[in-house]
Amino acid sequence: MNRVLASAFMLAAMAGPAAAQSLTVAVAADVRSINPGVNRDDNTDDFALQMVEGLVGYNEGGVAQPLLAEKVDRSADGKTYTFTLRQGVKFHNGAELTSADVLWSWNRYMDPKTDWRCTSEFDGRSGLKVESVTAPDALTVVMTIAQPNALFLDTLARTDCAMTAIIHKDSVKPDGSFDKPIGTGPYKFGEWKRGEFFTMTAFDGYKSPKDGRADGYVGSKRPLLKEVKFLIVKDPATVKAGLTSGALDMAEILPSDVGEIRKIPKLAVATAPNAVRHVFLIQTRDAVMGNKKLRQAIAAALDMDEVVASFYNDLGKPNNSPIYSGSSYFGEVEKKGHVYDPAKAKQLVKESGYKGEKIAILANKRGTVPSFPAAVVAQQMLQAVGINAEIEVLDWATQLDRFSKGSYQMQSFSFSARFDPAIAFEQFSGPKDKQPRKVYDSAEGQAQIDKLMLITDKAQRQAIVDDLHKRIIDEVPLIFLFNGIDVMAINKRITGFQPWQSKLRMWEVTLAN
Amino acid sequence: MLRFALTRIMMAIPTLLIVAVSVFVLIRLIPGDPASLMLGDLATPASIADLRARLGLDQSLFTQFGIWFGNLLKGDLGISINSQEPILPLILARFWVSAQIVLVAVFFASLVAVPAGVIAAWRQDSTLDLGLVGAATLLLSIPTFWLGLLLLLFFGLKLEWLPVVGYVSIGDDPWRGIIYLIMPILTLFLHEIGVILRMARASTLEVLRLDYITHARAKGLSEGAVLWRHAFKNAFGPTWTLIGLVLGNLLGGIAVVETVFTIPGLGRLLVDSIFARDYPVIQGCMLFVAFCYVLVNLVIDLCYPIFDPRVTAQ
Repeated sequence: MNRVLASAFMLAAMAGPAAAQSLTVAVAADVRSINPGVNRDDNTDDFALQMVEGLVGYNEGGVAQPLLAEKVDRSADGKTYTFTLRQGVKFHNGAELTSADVLWSWNRYMDPKTDWRCTSEFDGRSGLKVESVTAPDALTVVMTIAQPNALFLDTLARTDCAMTAIIHKDSVKPDGSFDKPIGTGPYKFGEWKRGEFFTMTAFDGYKSPKDGRADGYVGSKRPLLKEVKFLIVKDPATVKAGLTSGALDMAEILPSDVGEIRKIPKLAVATAPNAVRHVFLIQTRDAVMGNKKLRQAIAAALDMDEVVASFYNDLGKPNNSPIYSGSSYFGEVEKKGHVYDPAKAKQLVKESGYKGEKIAILANKRGTVPSFPAAVVAQQMLQAVGINAEIEVLDWATQLDRFSKGSYQMQSFSFSARFDPAIAFEQFSGPKDKQPRKVYDSAEGQAQIDKLMLITDKAQRQAIVDDLHKRIIDEVPLIFLFNGIDVMAINKRITGFQPWQSKLRMWEVTLAN
Repeated sequence: MLRFALTRIMMAIPTLLIVAVSVFVLIRLIPGDPASLMLGDLATPASIADLRARLGLDQSLFTQFGIWFGNLLKGDLGISINSQEPILPLILARFWVSAQIVLVAVFFASLVAVPAGVIAAWRQDSTLDLGLVGAATLLLSIPTFWLGLLLLLFFGLKLEWLPVVGYVSIGDDPWRGIIYLIMPILTLFLHEIGVILRMARASTLEVLRLDYITHARAKGLSEGAVLWRHAFKNAFGPTWTLIGLVLGNLLGGIAVVETVFTIPGLGRLLVDSIFARDYPVIQGCMLFVAFCYVLVNLVIDLCYPIFDPRVTAQ
């Protein structure tokens, strides 16, 4: 038996990291597909965006900036965008990027057969319509939109649209079906074993948009690692064991594991706030929750520091604004949120005429979101001011179904990351008759959001954002609690990695032997 | 014997049919829509309706069942909503991974637990019996995920004998493949020892109380001959049946072990598909597990006459 175990040990040792500069990252879920922006989720986008790039991409602050484009010129009437491409950019197959590739990629995306996530964002169904795309010369692309729209570049850069990535036509087989992504990104597609892992390798011919430091998707992006393997590990306890043993170099961990991980000498913990917003949704059409004073009482009853601590301990801070704390629109007005005042909450409960009706808070127990712990803490606080709150635990699919149908009183929910304030507000605002998932249904509010979609002047936009923030705080159709935080455990051999918007950017990252 | 086998095979058809209908109806009664789940919190009614139409979910349940069942008769389990892959190859690939773990674990567990159960019954109420029953109860009571984690911490982290995370297919690299399977197999092996030992002990105890055993002893046969030639053969029948049930249960239920040890098996595929509301994959997995269950029990039944000839006589 000892001999068997000794052999096992030797083989396990041989299975360890043999090649320098190869790094193993644990991810909780497999990618859905390798076709950028098609059959995707956040995890899929993350993998794709290491390999492909768009004309524009987000910088660290979530603002769309030129990426494959050298510059972007907007016409005076706001309808025509001229993209001048960077020279010498190469695809993974060695071909040089030209405007013909942009045109081919665009036409493919707008073909319904491609099934691109964002076709409806550009064909007029969502208000923005691209009327024409032309390529007057090899390095120029001109896109014309039907009406001026402040969100055009932002929409092109959206990660769920896979940055409207420009891929080479060899990415597609002769029969039109997708083969593999041949993009311009710092890493090339390697291998994908469903349910096990996916890998990517450094693209030696990569031309970084900038030198210096990493900046979202548009800064320095040198692929300094030879290979990166994303290993699918679902169980948090296994992740910890893998990090401790050295089998894993990096992984997202639960906030509750931070203390334990910090005690392990070879590991460090990196944290960064992201644009995910954790909220309590309130159904204003519910017979009980339609009462504005009761909603205000709920907001006043919540000690936000305690709610944040229920999940993030000392890592997070409250943010009662729809605008995430890292946004350039997060100003002094946005910092002013709900005030914790139990006495006032009790007074408001009394004034509301609330008769002790049961209020159900829907929550789920996914380990990666604070839905359940936040609901538990809130339930105690609401009961303390005389509100009969109960928690109903559902699985995520069921809760999302109830969200889509608007069938709830309260939900402990999380909104996915949105950078531009117009989209951040649009995400939860609109007519409930047409879209039951919408939370804030106000004609005045909607008019402001519509303006925000059109105006590009920063000062004018800020004024609208401030106004909308105040309306949400006053009317309480939902309560923004805090922003998400990326919590990563990292082997100290790794340098250059910084979590950003839950994306595992592997450029500018190095690994000591 | 042939008639017996044919009868059992024919009996499997209605079982599979009932499973197919039940699974189809039951999973659609669970709230949660795959289209909503795929599109997330930004899904508009139009985008959900569009996706539902493309997935064929906008048609009546009866039509959906008709299409699915028609394809099933042609051996086509459909396409995964989640991965857009054909389901049968997906299931077969995952099944092979799970089967390696389950078959090996149950084989070795039987090899250890059956003789141990017989000996425990033979030495009923002795220290040996109490020790074996106690150990079996303990192993049976430890949840597999916890047992797996304990093994992982001990062999993976403390002793550093076995790899902590990852999986290598035996087809790609046989030696490394085996190394990665040791801990999941050991987890199930330890757990199933408890299940099988208790059954072997109970069956043997029952047989040891029968008159023919007293008669054998009265004839002056040695205890070894009484136990292994007379008692064991009759006591093994119920244990053999239980082994069949254990195999069937494990094939559909090793998701926890597969999750702890990052093994891409059938159990994990099924659980992931349930959370994703990937109806075709859930249907395919359930039907496949039911098929395996029926097949395993058929094999068990066909082997049963070896231990108890009365079965064929009946």
